[in-house]
Amino acid sequence: MKAALHLLRKDLKLLLRGRGLLVMLIGYPLIVAALVTVALQSGERRPSIAFVNLDTSNRTVRVGDRRLGVKDYEERLAADVDLKHLSPDAARAALDDGRVSAVLTLPAGFISDLQSGIRSPTIGLEVSRRSPIEAQSISRRLESAVAKLNQELAGTYVAQTLDLVRIIVDGGEVAAFTREGNVLGLKRSEQIVRQLQQILTRQGQRALATRMDPLLNFIVEAGVNLELARDAATAISQPIALKVPDPPSGREPLSAFGFAGALLVSLALVGVLLGAASLAAEREDNTLVRLRRGLIRPEALVGEKVSFAALVSLAIGLILLVIVAVATSVTVGRWALWLPTLLLAGLAFAGFGVLIGALARETRTGLLAALMLALPLIFLGLFTESAAASTISEFFAFGPAFRAFQTLLVEPSLVARDIWLRFGQLALLAAVFTGAAAVVLRRRTEV
Amino acid sequence: MHRAFEVTNRSGTLLLGAGLSKRFRHVAALDAVDITLETGDAVALLGPNGAGKTTLLRILAGVSAPSAGRLDHNEAHRTPVGWVPQQPAVYRKLSARENLRLFCALEGDNAPDALTEDLLDRADLRRFADQPAGELSTGTLQRLNLAIALAGRPAALLLDEPTATLSPDQVHRLWRWLDELRRDDGLAVLFSTQSVDEAARHGERMIVLNHGRAAFAGTAAELVAQHGRAGVSEVDAAETAFLSLVGAAA
Repeated sequence: MKAALHLLRKDLKLLLRGRGLLVMLIGYPLIVAALVTVALQSGERRPSIAFVNLDTSNRTVRVGDRRLGVKDYEERLAADVDLKHLSPDAARAALDDGRVSAVLTLPAGFISDLQSGIRSPTIGLEVSRRSPIEAQSISRRLESAVAKLNQELAGTYVAQTLDLVRIIVDGGEVAAFTREGNVLGLKRSEQIVRQLQQILTRQGQRALATRMDPLLNFIVEAGVNLELARDAATAISQPIALKVPDPPSGREPLSAFGFAGALLVSLALVGVLLGAASLAAEREDNTLVRLRRGLIRPEALVGEKVSFAALVSLAIGLILLVIVAVATSVTVGRWALWLPTLLLAGLAFAGFGVLIGALARETRTGLLAALMLALPLIFLGLFTESAAASTISEFFAFGPAFRAFQTLLVEPSLVARDIWLRFGQLALLAAVFTGAAAVVLRRRTEV
Repeated sequence: MHRAFEVTNRSGTLLLGAGLSKRFRHVAALDAVDITLETGDAVALLGPNGAGKTTLLRILAGVSAPSAGRLDHNEAHRTPVGWVPQQPAVYRKLSARENLRLFCALEGDNAPDALTEDLLDRADLRRFADQPAGELSTGTLQRLNLAIALAGRPAALLLDEPTATLSPDQVHRLWRWLDELRRDDGLAVLFSTQSVDEAARHGERMIVLNHGRAAFAGTAAELVAQHGRAGVSEVDAAETAFLSLVGAAA
């Protein structure tokens, strides 16, 4: 134990002495965090889209009490994308050159088709093949924009229909679906029929009055059923409503995801690379043979290296958290949970790194191998959309650590069982990697 | 059949190796070598490249485990041997003083600071005490390498070709110090070398290894007597005898 402490002090002294390395260890995570933030922001940027309007009729369609033209549709689309007015040829050239990500074409007769109420106009969308991921994103975005427009139109049409229903029931002036005029209404019709029946009864023509009963029943039933149709029409206009509650202040998923990702990349690289380098350096300095001649047991030496890399990783993690808490809108609390999370993640990362360092014969090989192994595994930890990636990431510390970081940053309330499960998983992985590194070190130093 | 080479018969056996063998996969690097090292001995391990010198020293130092055979240390000594590998085993970014201080502490010395200062003086490293080890000259670095081996206050030093990379003046300086250690502290010295002259000059006895086997044990005079040729000058006699023994004379 004493020997391990002596070596730990030596490693920390060397780390602090290497100013370049120290600056890199602190500066690198900050750069990574900034890059991840920039990458996320660029992912959210409005794509540039060529807008080709082939409907030059300047016609408008009346929807409710408004008249809508191409300009109105364009304004609605412009809320989601950056539209550039171009001719068909210029749009094609811009798409080929990569100046726009897609071409949106409004066909000739767009408004008249809409006005007809019979034909559905079709908007054309051609996306760039240069960037398939962005193309997919643009398609989804425009599908969503068109769906929103359709929903708005449907709502307006339904409102118009309901107004018509009201006029049919109550009577009054009608001006919808290109029809205009005065409507008697079911209620007044019922009144007229009842008055007629009374007059006929008074005149002794009771049989004739009774013959009007089916007409009266029809008017009454029609009124009742049209009242029911009002609710049904409302439901049809928006069969499924999506309610998205605003996230609690400071727990915006996107920024928290970005920071959790930056934290993972930074700490994982620090833990893995420092763990690998610190043990490989002992071999390169040839001091490993001295140490292993009874000065320290392999388990203690590996434990020292893991502790060293984990402590540095913890310190950097805490520095990053403080910077984020002070300088950004992301809420960083739960310090009592952050401490064990960062420590356990650091131990697991460092254990993995030390294992690589034990396998490598020199520092450069160790660092290169650590980097080559860590990067794809970190990527798997970040993007676990497929079942296979998710399963693989569970066997390394990167997946569980990222989910723990995200939980602490995003979730407004925590489930104790989940957090303890993550802690257990990280502790188990740290123990497995450290144990494996000790076995490898014992075998490869031959004592 | 194993042969036991009694290197010397002074008081106190420090190391006793019997039938020491080492195989790397299918290659026998060392084949049933016996060796005894006693207090104050100066023994040279002589042999061509690949003879098994480093392998034997690594086994005696406890760096490598033998594939077969038995190795006993004198239990009276807490640290029986100090190991001086051919490639200096030092932290190159730590200063000479910090290296010594660390290894004195790791050896569990009660007064590591005092021992560090003592070793700095004895290794003539005082001027370089605060210089990073990586910036020291080859000879100075080798003295630091040796001083670190003394941090455990060993009874014997095992040196793997300690002068292989040194200039003649550095060689002279190193041997002067090693002779002092033998004379003043009674340290036993077992060193490997490819120089017959160095073995004859600094080793009271020598063991010639060839193809992993101990081909000879005794003094330089005995080597000449057993394997030398007539008509060779006194200066070349030992070298000629050695070459004759390892089969390179022709």
